[in-house]
Formats: sequence, C-alpha cells, structure tokens
Amino acid sequence: MCWQGVKQPVVLVKTVVETDFKFSSAITRIPTRIRLPRRYPVQNLEEGISLEFVLNNLTPRSKKRCILFNMRNFQQILTAQAGAARGMATEKQLSLKITSTKNIRKITASMKMVAAAKLKGDENRLALAKPFNKWTDALCGEAVLLDELSDITYEELPQRTLIVPLSSDKGLCGGINTFITRSVRDCIKKIDNQGKECDIVMVGDKGRAQLGRIFPEKITRSVTEVISPGSFNLAAAISSELTAAGAADYDAVMIVYNSYVNAAVYNQYYKVIKPMTAEGESESMVAYEFEPDVKSEVMTDLYEYMLTSQLYYCFMDGAAAEQSSRMTAMENASKNAGEMINALTLKYNRARQSRITTELIEIISGASALEDK
Amino acid sequence: MSTPTTFWRIAGMSYTQYVTRAATAVRNGLKEPAKTKALQHETFSYNAASWEAGKIGPKKQVNKLTNAGISV
Repeated sequence: MCWQGVKQPVVLVKTVVETDFKFSSAITRIPTRIRLPRRYPVQNLEEGISLEFVLNNLTPRSKKRCILFNMRNFQQILTAQAGAARGMATEKQLSLKITSTKNIRKITASMKMVAAAKLKGDENRLALAKPFNKWTDALCGEAVLLDELSDITYEELPQRTLIVPLSSDKGLCGGINTFITRSVRDCIKKIDNQGKECDIVMVGDKGRAQLGRIFPEKITRSVTEVISPGSFNLAAAISSELTAAGAADYDAVMIVYNSYVNAAVYNQYYKVIKPMTAEGESESMVAYEFEPDVKSEVMTDLYEYMLTSQLYYCFMDGAAAEQSSRMTAMENASKNAGEMINALTLKYNRARQSRITTELIEIISGASALEDK
Repeated sequence: MSTPTTFWRIAGMSYTQYVTRAATAVRNGLKEPAKTKALQHETFSYNAASWEAGKIGPKKQVNKLTNAGISV
C-alpha cells in the first residue's frame, strides 16, 4: 500500500470502526486525521497507531463512508466507500436474530402439538363418516384419484358441471390448498377444451383467494370462515347453498377434496354426483318399486340427501387432511428453525471472538507503541 | 312441477331440512348429560357470499339451516 514506509505516525483511533473499504485512490500524502462516519463523532486523535493498522482493522458493518482528511490543508485525501456491508451482521443483530428464531421455533412446535391433538378428533369423525357414506358409492360411483393430472381427461363430466372445491380457511397448512387449486385449474382447462361449461361454489377462504384470482368470473357463491369441527348440519347448510347456486340446473356436481391417508400422506380426489331422473332414457334405479308411487319426489329427496352425505364425508376427509398437513408443515418449520439457530450461533461466536481478538490487538499495539516511545 | 305429496314438501321444507329437524328431535329426547353433548353436534357457522361478474358480494353469517342458501 502506498503508505508503507511512512515515518510520520498517524493518529490513534480511539474506537475501531467496522466498515468495509474499497479504496478508490492511493494515498499520496500523510493523513493526520481520520474523520469517522456520521454516526461517530470526529475524534480528537493523538499520535499512535499507524494508519495501516487502522485501515486493516476496519470490517464491514454498514454502508458508511470514511473520509480521510489532511489536517493541514483540509484536503480530502482518500475516500473510501463502504462495500457489501449487508453481508456481515454484527453480534447484536445476530443475537436478535437467534432470539427471534428461537421464539418462532417454540411457536411452530406448539402449533404442531395443537394440530396433532385436533387430528385425533378429526380422525375419529372421519372413521364414523366413512361407513355413514358408504352407500353413495353404489349410486355415484367411487371417487377418482387426482394423481397424475395429465392422465385425467374428465370426459365423464356432462355439459354443465358445478365444481365444489373444499379448501381450508386457515393458513400454515402446507400445500393442501395449492393442490386443490391446481386440480381445479387443470379440470376447467380441459372442460373448456371439450366445449363444456362449469361454475364454482368455493368452500374455504384460502381456495377462494387463489381461485378468485384465476377464475373470478366462474365463481357463483363462496362459503368461508367455517367453524370447525364440521357436522352433518353444516353439510346440509352447504348443500342448501349449492341449491341456491342452482345445483338443480347443472347436470352434475363435482366435489374436489383432499383425502387423509395417514399423518404424513394425503391425496386429492374428485367425486361426481349426478341428479337421478325418474323417467326417460337415463332413469335411475329401474329395478326398484317406490312407495309412495311418486318416484320423482323420492328421487329428488334421495339426491338431496346423497349430496349432503357426500359433502359431509368429503368435508371430514378434508379436515383430517388439513390437520395432518399442518402438523407436517410445522414440524418441518421447527426443524428448519433449529438448523438456522445452529448456523446463526456459529456466526455469532465467530463475530464475538473476532471482536475480542481485535480489542486485544488494539490494546497490545497501543501499549507497545507507547513503550517504543 | 307436480303437487307435492310428502308432508315436508307441503310444509315447504327440503328433505335435508326435514331430516335435520328429525335428528334435533331425537337429540332433544336424550337425558342429560348426553343431551348437551349431542346438541353440540348441531351447531355450525360460516359466512356465505354471492359473486356477480367476478366480484364478491357482502358476506352474511349463516348459523341456522333456515338461513342457508338465502341470497344476500
């Protein structure tokens, strides 16, 4: 550096400033005063430590400029620019980060416990809902797994379909709402290509936000802020909402929902519920006699009850899947927070040790400079 | 549509409303403490809103079956 071999000593810096420097020009004169950045007062500096020592001990802290003046002619000798100060946080910032990450880890761990407790209740409700709804498989057919979206064609859907995606109201539940939105988006794209029509009755706030951005014109009704746990009365109310949205005018109602497999796994399914006709070519349940004789009324009642029962089961399944997904998400968050804490602690210890070393060097150099005198 | 013959249709109820009322009657027939526990299964609440031309309308809280499905 150009100030090597300079005999005239420079001033003693009383506080070591942490700033990263990129020197824009060489030093041509001997600086006799160092003006520190705005945060620090201008020091009344004495003779002592060499400029080289001072400048070599400046480390990044913030975007500060350190300007070197020559006291004799107040000419700016050297302007140093603060470099990438962002990359290096101080001890205090690191310790604040560690504390906040520890708090986050506590919160996510407790959320995981809460989700695990709620999952137990939802699993029990699902176990009761499964046999309750088993009879609808004979009339509606089984649910279709939405595994590989590219393999699903939706050709069995009729001309007009009412899509009912079941999503959650609360967040921090992993990818359940994204999977539902993705499936519905794929379905609508394929339906449109086949020249068919569809509308959406959205259940759940998260799904409403996502699908409301993509297909706002297709949504006819939304059901949000559903108080959990669900019940058959809730399913009955939602099926009334579907009726109000004109379910009778559509050729089929399609429910898209998440299905709980175990605490770590859930899948997406869709079910198609077609209204049953009492006469004509597609007459349902031809082999049965009906009491009273008015088959059309019985078919209407049966369709209403079947729709409610299906909604009830799908809602229970979706609720259990939501809790299992939330549990997994919170467990991953806690694990990531723990790893972050370990990395930050190492950084903090390194910063602390380098500060102590720097202070020691300063003291020892100052003492040996005075001794040399 | 033909004249309804079932009594719940004549009363203006859908089959689902009739079934849920029947379930309420059964729950009310229970003794305490089973009655209180069973009646908790009836409660529900959500907010319903109609959408027009891609815009959401005002939200309305629904906690009774008779209020469900009514346009806001």
